[in-house]
Amino acid sequence: MAPESASPPSATTTPALEACGIVREYGPVIAVAGIDLSLERGEFLTVFGPNGAGKSSLLGLLSGALRPTRGDVFINGTRLDFGAVDWRHDVGVLSHQGFLYAQLTVQENLRFYGRLYGLTDLDSRIPERLAEVSLADRSNSRVGQLSHGMRQRLALARALLHDPDVVLLDEPYTGLDPSAAAVLRGVLTGLKDGRRTVVMVTHNIGEGIALASQVAIQVRGRFAWQGSRADVEAVDFERLYHRVVEGRA
Amino acid sequence: MSAYLGQIGAIAWKDLLLELRTRERVVAMGAFAVLAAVLFNYSIDRTVVRPQDIGAGLIWMTIVFGGLLGVGRTFHLEAEDGALQGVLMSPVPKDAIFLGKTLSNFVLLYIVSLLVVAVFMLFFGMELGTSPPMLALALALGALGFVALGTLFAAVSSGTRMGETLLPILLFPLLIPVIVFGAGATGRLLSGRPVSEVVGNIRMLAAFALMAVAAGSVLFRFVVED
Repeated sequence: MAPESASPPSATTTPALEACGIVREYGPVIAVAGIDLSLERGEFLTVFGPNGAGKSSLLGLLSGALRPTRGDVFINGTRLDFGAVDWRHDVGVLSHQGFLYAQLTVQENLRFYGRLYGLTDLDSRIPERLAEVSLADRSNSRVGQLSHGMRQRLALARALLHDPDVVLLDEPYTGLDPSAAAVLRGVLTGLKDGRRTVVMVTHNIGEGIALASQVAIQVRGRFAWQGSRADVEAVDFERLYHRVVEGRA
Repeated sequence: MSAYLGQIGAIAWKDLLLELRTRERVVAMGAFAVLAAVLFNYSIDRTVVRPQDIGAGLIWMTIVFGGLLGVGRTFHLEAEDGALQGVLMSPVPKDAIFLGKTLSNFVLLYIVSLLVVAVFMLFFGMELGTSPPMLALALALGALGFVALGTLFAAVSSGTRMGETLLPILLFPLLIPVIVFGAGATGRLLSGRPVSEVVGNIRMLAAFALMAVAAGSVLFRFVVED
């Protein structure tokens, strides 16, 4: 890890998502303490970690919602420039919050975000996305009338509406019942199409590992452990996780 | 350019649709306007002062105070479910967000301004004067200047614990030109004076509105960015 590094990605191998020594401080609190990562197109990174490890801050930095105190983030080789907006077309974010308007219908919410992204084929795209998250029959329902699971699925449809290359997911399984989790699992599995790069933060070890090609455990703002899916399958991951979090590995 | 205008339109459309569904802001502003006119009506001793002489000033004070109820809640629409974050993370220039919100606020405040004038005409026995279109223009320009600054400062105050108290303290001193030139133009037009007498006031209102929109467009990103 190189907290002060800000070197741009190599021109020959351009990762879909790269972070170079990103640090995020909130006054005296260091939420992200120098993380480097490089993900090729099609990779799926799952980040585990205890509460307060800085996982959501990491996603905020990768999505451009937060400005790094130090370091840089590159998406498809382009450094995140907070004065520009074009790179935001390449990123889709599912946060703790759904970014939805309760008084608008499902379709109106998606149409609004679609217009912000300059999409012109919304009449065909919105029904497709709603079908993918099993909400096709609720397109005229107000969001305020939907269950938590439905809102979460709609938030995912919103995050994927513009077909982003990089998808960032913050605790997508929180509060979902088994059937809603199954729908979400199907959609997330569909993201592993070799074209998209996904970073998912979760406490759900089973779901997280099932989808991941890369795994990291974040503790006190740093990646305390990183490995591939094969590395994870070679060990008792739950035991490893507890050892890493407790500082014994 | 059409994409940019489309984004401004999308934000304004969404805000107006939300208002149509909730009617929170228009009802609050409209009710305030009517009640203020009723109270002003009873507060004036008509044997001492003619309502027409002070009507224009009261109209603009009512627009400003009533408008604050609506403009101050501009970003409350976005607070639920973190929607503003979703808008900020989309590929929309920050000035387009500002202009979209200013446009929707302008539509709402302009409707309320027309209601205020109608209510004061009813209670104060005022007449439309010689040039209703010029009166409509003065109200529109004053409302635009007000909502441009109001939207900017509503964004500032929405991020603070003392937001609702802070907003008028920040905003009112900057609205003095709107009150001075708006009340000047409105008073003259309602009392039947020639249009040539208000051209200067209208120009000042237009200049103020232009500067407020330009300043808001430039400064908004510094208010909402991390």
